[in-house]
Amino acid sequence: MRILLIEDDQIIANFIQKGMKEAGFTIDHFDDGSIGLHAALTGNYDVGILDLMLPHMDGLSILDRLRVEKKNLPIIILSAKRSVDDRINGLRHGGDDYLIKPFSFSELLARVESLLRRAQHVVEPTSLSFQDLSLDLLARTIVRDGIKIDLQPKEFALLEYLIRNAGHVVSKTMIMERVWDYNFDPGTNVVEARISKLRDKVDKDFATPLIHTVRGLGYVLKGKDD
Amino acid sequence: MIKLPNTLGFRLTLWYATAFLVCLVAAFLALYLSLNSILNSRMDDDLREDITEFQDWFTEEGLEKVTYEIEREAASSNESEIFLRLYDGRGNLVVASDLSDWEGLDLATLSPQQMDISLSHPIFETIKLSGQDYPVRIISGVIGPHTILQVGETLEKKEEIMELLLKVFAGMFFLGIPLASGIGWLIARTAVKGIEEVSRAVKDLEMGQLDRRVTVRGQGDEIQTLADSFNTMAARIKSLIHEMREMTDNIAHDLRSPLGRIRAMSEVALAESESTKDYKRTAADILKECDRLIHLINTTLDMAEVEAGVTHTIKEPINFSKLIADLCEFYEPVAGEKHIALTVTLEPNCQLSGDKQNLQRMVANLLDNAMKYTSPEGQIRVELTRSPQEFHLTIADTGVGIPLSDQQRVFDRFFRCDHSRAQDGCGLGLSFARSVARAHGGDIFVESESSQGSIFTSILPVTPSTQ
Repeated sequence: MRILLIEDDQIIANFIQKGMKEAGFTIDHFDDGSIGLHAALTGNYDVGILDLMLPHMDGLSILDRLRVEKKNLPIIILSAKRSVDDRINGLRHGGDDYLIKPFSFSELLARVESLLRRAQHVVEPTSLSFQDLSLDLLARTIVRDGIKIDLQPKEFALLEYLIRNAGHVVSKTMIMERVWDYNFDPGTNVVEARISKLRDKVDKDFATPLIHTVRGLGYVLKGKDD
Repeated sequence: MIKLPNTLGFRLTLWYATAFLVCLVAAFLALYLSLNSILNSRMDDDLREDITEFQDWFTEEGLEKVTYEIEREAASSNESEIFLRLYDGRGNLVVASDLSDWEGLDLATLSPQQMDISLSHPIFETIKLSGQDYPVRIISGVIGPHTILQVGETLEKKEEIMELLLKVFAGMFFLGIPLASGIGWLIARTAVKGIEEVSRAVKDLEMGQLDRRVTVRGQGDEIQTLADSFNTMAARIKSLIHEMREMTDNIAHDLRSPLGRIRAMSEVALAESESTKDYKRTAADILKECDRLIHLINTTLDMAEVEAGVTHTIKEPINFSKLIADLCEFYEPVAGEKHIALTVTLEPNCQLSGDKQNLQRMVANLLDNAMKYTSPEGQIRVELTRSPQEFHLTIADTGVGIPLSDQQRVFDRFFRCDHSRAQDGCGLGLSFARSVARAHGGDIFVESESSQGSIFTSILPVTPSTQ
């Protein structure tokens, strides 16, 4: 999978490049708008990450040109502008997603993967599994190591989200947004409390814990040998 | 003060003077014309009386008496002012008073028109004689069979009165120009003075003199109203700027503290960290501080957006009961951890239209606030009721409560009670909640008793948002 990154902030660009390479992507970086557009038009990419404020050609103009000439490259817009109008404007120019700076890398990664899945028309699975844990999405049942686990609907959704992102760190904000559809900072440690309850049911009675806390970043589902 | 012709003062003066002079001319014209007409009709009455008198003499005492009276009448007045002439039936002069002063009066015979008169209707004429400065008023009337009397009187006296009047008026007119301008200028000055005072004050305010006020001694007139409005506005600007400074100070403080911590942590890490683990811990702490900063900035901006106007917020139909129930369910584990009894009583299916995300944040902030300040084993009651006009959301806790002196200020941005400083948070939660309630046409109130707990009530109107 090849990612095109057009971003003039060197620190942010390095941060994204490093993370994406670790996640197994090939990534090309350009810090100039018009050169970036040329690459997007001529290169063969699966997804583009586009900053809005760029030298020589701004992100929205690049989008306009792209949509005229090469319609199907999925684009994630990066921008420090966070008003509703700015977001709507970005999507109207043909962006597929809009991520507000500053962002966590896990958030960007999740969105890139989601766009790739959408572009490849991946068929929604009816069940998910991770190591000895398996979820039946239709029957809404969970089995770990042959033992059935009872979960509340939201706990199920939380675990499903963790499995879908297995191996990748998901932040509290992402959990809030994807599992509860809440776009605010909960203030108190609500997510921690939720995770702790989920751990009681999923990890407590088993030898290998699967849900891990990554200090400062969030949570990740991984096995012992990961 | 009024130097340029293009000032309001100058225009007012001009208008006043013009209006004054127009009125003066109109008044004079009325006086002149009515006096002229009165004098004319009085003279005609006199002349008509003469004819009647002579008619009587002719009837009673005959022609001799008439001839005698003609001489006497002319002599008794002044021969240059009046003349009398008597004609026979064919229009020939019979007798006349002394006509030596009446040069140009050469009518020996009467004109056919003058002949054609009846007893009751004498005819009047005004003629200009070449030897006279003033016109002459002449009456021709029948005083007996075949006898016509003609009396002529100069208009000199009347014309002199009119001329005098005209002179007096001209004097008044030319005297009136400076007088009217002067009065006009005084009036304009009085009116404009207040405006100029306000205008100077605006300039001073613009230069940064926020304490500038206008003192206008008026009795509730427009200038006074203007001055009062200006003073109110200046006071408002002052308080806004004061608020803004305070807020900037607060933001700066709230930005500086996490930045200070980040800086300190980085320094310590560079100086002392030995293992990757140490660095990782520092990086995680820095991330936490960064998230706090981002949250602070975002909330400040979101609040500004909410306060900028309801028109900007996206409205959609919302089941408020469900929204609250979901959030209570969301916060339930937190209550469970602290062994807080969370009681939720909601009137079902309360529909309103509004910004869903912001309303969620409003309720979440209130719940979060209650969770934070309720000690373990405490209670939180969440209640939603509806009246025909309003939804009442009450969130009551058995927490530490808010001292009376702070109750008014808990909704202020960045305000934190002393006991809350230890808690996480940026001091924006309640003020954001109130901004959202207000943007939806409602409000939030607090009742609290120290160490007894607090009750926050959010009131949202059923209409117009449910339309």
